[in-house]
Amino acid sequence: MAAASHAVSHMRRRGFFGRISDGLVGTAMASLLSDDLFADESTGQIPDLAASEPHFPPTARAVIQLFMTGGPSQVDLLDPKPALVQHEGELPRAFLDNVESVGAAGGLLPSPFRFAKHGDSGLEMSDVIPHMAEVADDTAVIRSMWTDSFNHESGIVQMHSGRTAKASPSMGSWIVYGLGSENQNLPAYVALDDPHKQILLGKTNWQSGWLPPIYQGTRLKSEGTPLLNLQPAQEFPNPVLELSRDLLERMSREHRHKRPGQPVLDARIASYELAARMQTTATEALDISQETAATQQLYGLDRDVTASYGRRCLMARRLVERGVRFVQIFMNVNPGPNPWDHHGDVKGGLIRSCEQTDQPVGALLRDLKRCGLLDQTLVVWGGEFGRLPLAQKAKRPGRDHGPGGFSVLLAGGGVKGGTTYGATDDFGYRAVENRVSVHDLHATILHCLGMDHLRLVHNHHGLDERLTGVEPASVVDGILA
Amino acid sequence: MVWTSQKALRRACEHRPRMPTTAYSLARMLSFGCEAVFAVAVLCNVALSGEDPPIAFGANVQAILKTHCTACHGQNVQEGGLNLTERDRLLAGGESGPAIVPGAPEASLLLQKILSGDMPPEDPKPTAGEIAVLRRWIADGALRTGERPEEVRLLFAQMHVSEAEIMSNIFSSYCITCHGKLRQEAGLDLRTRASMLKGGNSGPALVVDRPAESLVYQKILADEMPPKKNIFGDQQYVYRVQAGDIDRLKLWIELGAPEDEVSEPAFRRDEPQSVLSDTDTPHWAFQPIQQPAVPEADVSVKPLGAGASRNPVDAFLLQELGKRDLNFSAPADRMVLLRRAYFDLIGLPPSPDDVQAWLADDSVDALDRLIDRLLDSRHYGERWARHWLDVAGYSDTHGVIDRDELRRYMWRYRDYVIRSFNEDKPYDQFLLEQVAGDELVDWKSDTPLTAQQIDGLVATGFLRTAPDATDEGGFNKIVDRFAVVNEQLDIFSTAVMGITMECSRCHSHKFDPISQRDYYRFAAIFRSSMDPYDWRIPNEVLYPPRYDVPSEYQRYIRHPSDVLTPEVRRYNDRIDAKCATIEQQIEKAAAPFREQLREAGAEGTAEQQPAANATVADLAKQFPDFAKQTSRQRQQLSELRARRFDYMLIHGLKDLGGRSTPVHVLRRGDLRSPMERVQPGVPHALAASASPFKVTPPEHSTKTSGSRLALARWLTTPEHPLTARVMVNRIWMHHFGLPLVTTTGNFGHSGATPTHPELLDWLAAEFIRRDWSIKEMHRLIMRSSAWQQSSVADGRRHKQDPDNLLLSRFPFRRLDAEQIRDTVLQVSGQLDLTPFGPADEIQETAEGEVVSQASKDGYRRSIYLIQRRLKPETMLALFDAPAMVPNCLQRTRSTVAPQALQLFNSGFMRKAAAHFAEQVIQLCGHDQKKQVEHIYVTTLSRYPTSAEVQQATEALKNLTRLWQDADNAKQTVISDRDPQHQALTVFCHTIMNSPEFIYTD
Repeated sequence: MAAASHAVSHMRRRGFFGRISDGLVGTAMASLLSDDLFADESTGQIPDLAASEPHFPPTARAVIQLFMTGGPSQVDLLDPKPALVQHEGELPRAFLDNVESVGAAGGLLPSPFRFAKHGDSGLEMSDVIPHMAEVADDTAVIRSMWTDSFNHESGIVQMHSGRTAKASPSMGSWIVYGLGSENQNLPAYVALDDPHKQILLGKTNWQSGWLPPIYQGTRLKSEGTPLLNLQPAQEFPNPVLELSRDLLERMSREHRHKRPGQPVLDARIASYELAARMQTTATEALDISQETAATQQLYGLDRDVTASYGRRCLMARRLVERGVRFVQIFMNVNPGPNPWDHHGDVKGGLIRSCEQTDQPVGALLRDLKRCGLLDQTLVVWGGEFGRLPLAQKAKRPGRDHGPGGFSVLLAGGGVKGGTTYGATDDFGYRAVENRVSVHDLHATILHCLGMDHLRLVHNHHGLDERLTGVEPASVVDGILA
Repeated sequence: MVWTSQKALRRACEHRPRMPTTAYSLARMLSFGCEAVFAVAVLCNVALSGEDPPIAFGANVQAILKTHCTACHGQNVQEGGLNLTERDRLLAGGESGPAIVPGAPEASLLLQKILSGDMPPEDPKPTAGEIAVLRRWIADGALRTGERPEEVRLLFAQMHVSEAEIMSNIFSSYCITCHGKLRQEAGLDLRTRASMLKGGNSGPALVVDRPAESLVYQKILADEMPPKKNIFGDQQYVYRVQAGDIDRLKLWIELGAPEDEVSEPAFRRDEPQSVLSDTDTPHWAFQPIQQPAVPEADVSVKPLGAGASRNPVDAFLLQELGKRDLNFSAPADRMVLLRRAYFDLIGLPPSPDDVQAWLADDSVDALDRLIDRLLDSRHYGERWARHWLDVAGYSDTHGVIDRDELRRYMWRYRDYVIRSFNEDKPYDQFLLEQVAGDELVDWKSDTPLTAQQIDGLVATGFLRTAPDATDEGGFNKIVDRFAVVNEQLDIFSTAVMGITMECSRCHSHKFDPISQRDYYRFAAIFRSSMDPYDWRIPNEVLYPPRYDVPSEYQRYIRHPSDVLTPEVRRYNDRIDAKCATIEQQIEKAAAPFREQLREAGAEGTAEQQPAANATVADLAKQFPDFAKQTSRQRQQLSELRARRFDYMLIHGLKDLGGRSTPVHVLRRGDLRSPMERVQPGVPHALAASASPFKVTPPEHSTKTSGSRLALARWLTTPEHPLTARVMVNRIWMHHFGLPLVTTTGNFGHSGATPTHPELLDWLAAEFIRRDWSIKEMHRLIMRSSAWQQSSVADGRRHKQDPDNLLLSRFPFRRLDAEQIRDTVLQVSGQLDLTPFGPADEIQETAEGEVVSQASKDGYRRSIYLIQRRLKPETMLALFDAPAMVPNCLQRTRSTVAPQALQLFNSGFMRKAAAHFAEQVIQLCGHDQKKQVEHIYVTTLSRYPTSAEVQQATEALKNLTRLWQDADNAKQTVISDRDPQHQALTVFCHTIMNSPEFIYTD
């Protein structure tokens, strides 16, 4: 971390006003910039993204969240339920309580996929995710997740922020609020979504809510210019641009000079410098052409079906490599807006969704391991809920939303590989053993990052708010090494 | 002085630990947890398939509890009201509910506490074997020797089945939409026990003691009711009554359908305040406001030019400054004051003409007159409405589901707020209308409503701002509706009362004297207009066509986005049909006169209108005979057309009158766990100091409960301790950047204490004394030396008053999002000043930037831009325009790199610069000095120094040359503009990126 902050102060001396900053004024400015950054004069607090010490030694320093919007079906992927075969077609009355469309509810539906034990640990996964199965020994599966939400929107908000009703800060915002970033030349919290499609709820997925806006996730595009307005649509000719920057720098300096005691003006100058630096750093970070052909192939960039998700996985590795704290990857698949939301044809739908993601996810874990990053990076795979073990009537049967019990997969920094934790009932309808709430999952992720979820607080309207809310939450020790 | 938020931080609410289950699973538990029961059944099949005899309490369960639990939960000590010595006491449970649920170990608190490690708090912890025994005992049915599981279940039911639960969890939740206040299908009303006994067309619905003869039970049991199809065209999904509840209904009927004891009568003044009993000093904010004496001017404080104490505001501030041997800073430069006043009051910079006029006016009262002029400007309302809309949580969309659906008529409320500020509507009246406008107006009577009355109805939009997706079937669950109400109450209490009540929803407030009962009493005020069990979706046509079109509403009429509902269309069709008949009659009468015209046209008289195009009005003007003949019909026609209704759909709230569902205190906020019933009332701690809260239904033909009217009147009495304090604190904040109470939405114990308590109270009292006039407060504040001092201060002031809490200088501030965008638009000549009406659209570019769309007149002010919760305009969002989650009490002012990218690289700014440059050339020709002066005056509201002129002209010269070179070298896309124009564009762009452009001194 010391090395990283050295790099930061070094970087601050170059960039936007580079030509001028070499001179005497520049040196003075550089020293001004090293403190009082981002002063917020309305509250007196100074939110920043400087790397800060966790509460206790962490087992991970970065997180990659592979968010599977829509609700992947646990009984077809990670939670085998042989009892579904014996009881196929039965419809237990109690399962109907919260089914949205009673008329469309069918009986219990066995999985169309075969499960097998994998690796030394014998972790069970179905044959629709063969690449993930190959790295099973590095992963831990929580089979007893549950949530309050039946709808995608509230479920997504709850999975990201711990709450359903309010648009509260997302976990990523909390994490960078707590830990800052090890690279001041890239956003601390990055969201990578499908550049060609809208994802459900858009930026709500990475919002900072009532945390200061600097903790909000930054959407980087995995194709074209990575960041909004990173380059102007039409650039001034170079000499013109330089003169314009020169002039702006002079104006800023004169303005600043007449106003002593306003560190916010230094922050503003710094923000212009960072903006200019990001033209290089963000572009470089996402430049996967620097990767070898073998690596690109590993992620499936050579095949249409895996290329899009594979690019984002590979970019995520490059970002955490450069000190980015939290990376979220979102996906989108045709048809429909919601990749894992298989109300109809759960078999075909899962085949398509897994085809796109399975190889890249497997590759990400292997590649992180190869680079020695897996030990420091927590990877979290999962959606906002699971699906019912019942069929939902359609031309080919699908499955409706199942918030009562579902699976989440974790790997990397601090996770005990090859573990399964908790259990749903015989049919995979409801988590019954070692139930894990969304708050518990969040507490666990924070724990891996060296943070106590009870101590990560922010004062909002006079109340100490935290990611894990007021419900008691506990770290899922059972999956930790 | 302590920086108060630090204090708040220390004091902040630490929530007490709670049982490891959410409200939701608690609900399951209490209803026998049908899922749990099923799950257990499954488990039993697997785990207990061995033919072991059931475990009984006496055998070894009692011993385990004795070893680990009864020291604290026994005969002598009963922590949490819990006694674990006898089986029945386990069933009865303690403060947190039953300790066990027979047959459902996972839902049993006892086991949950042990498994989570919370209990027992000290060693020895139960062994795995002991836990297994407990688990099996509960799974077997929590039996004593010789008992059968059914017997224990009945016993459990007797203890825990209440009328409130039956009514809330079954009838209110599943039945009253069709058998309740608004509809009584089959003549049946299922809202009370009495109305069930009375029954409907098929006879009594409830027969006491006999479930088999009770239709309510039979229909639900047979799964005939609730109907299987969604109702109201999929607007409302229909769910199944939970299996456990059906059981409980049966038990309730078997037990004789007992009624709950009536627990809480109306509000009692002598109610003990358990929460505050240990506090000796009463909380400052809940005490009546008394106007303190204005401090004598301290002669030892040396006056500094205009810094001499001019008005009471200064006297209070100087008193504190004097204690640190400080004083105000020097008076601000006149040009600085001009810019400050413009941004403060209208949110726009002065135009070059304004600057000229200001320079020419050297009279003593120039500033006072400037303030008056700005307060009279219609742009004043556009600026100050923004502040109010922030606290109100204004949004043009519902903001819950991905579609982020539009609130088509919400803008009327925005316009109402703007007009109210412009009119300087007294704040008490402003609140009265927003809290109870619908109860003030007899809108169901046949008398046409006046514009003012309509405003009262529109004003209730204030109570419908919370995120809300209940017009989408999947989100129209009772829990979703409660979420809307909860957030609306949160908005209301933080915005108007400056207290946060949200915590009290689940438990009594640890720091504030707001009990849980207070919360539900307060919620009960709103039940008759927002009943989660009997829900009205937003965006309804709330008010039928009953009134004339007041001229000031003409602009809203016939806007394409006002889609009419079928009811209104049918109504209009009837009028249109009548109009058509009359029009035919008139046309018949017109035929001969048209013929005359045609003949005249044939003769070639140029002024004559072509006969076919002549309107009836033209004809009437031209031919007195025709006018006379058709006078009555034309009169009829205009009357009919005036009754046509194609406007005035209101997004607001109306009291529904009649009997609403009862409001209960909810155990831990869980809506399936109703406890005692409460009546509408206000928080006890406040009830004592303000005048009493008294509900009297208004006496007019629109039957309403009068509860919100009572709230509004209670809030706006001069004795109310919070209303005026909270508002003057906000007004202060918007002038000085910092409020006197830094937690503007929390004046409670966990909030900050005022930096200047006496000043706050003096201002609040003055506010009331001046008839709640907000404009008077602006005058008072802006005429102070404090407001007129410079923002540049010496090191001593920075050192002794580092956070400027004492106001030893004027705060240096960045403009907020709307000010920046509006200023860019005004400066570049692209600002369309058209006020009011439906919001302007935004669109997302392929790059993902959300941008506004210009009309032919340019862009309107940001307040008229559509406010989408889930898709905010990029530039506004970057500069901290709030996301409204659910409202915004104080904005942050961040400084981040994406802002720089936006200002330096965005198409919006580049386009603005080009427009600006064009205007400059039009006005100043190619005189570079003139150009530079004009640019400075327009953007920075001041003339450039000679050094700046020199620097700028040189830059322009160089830019022109460089651009020329680039063009020659074809390094870039050559535009059709000449290099001089290009250079000017770059210069304008640069100056709009300069800090002086977006910061005010």
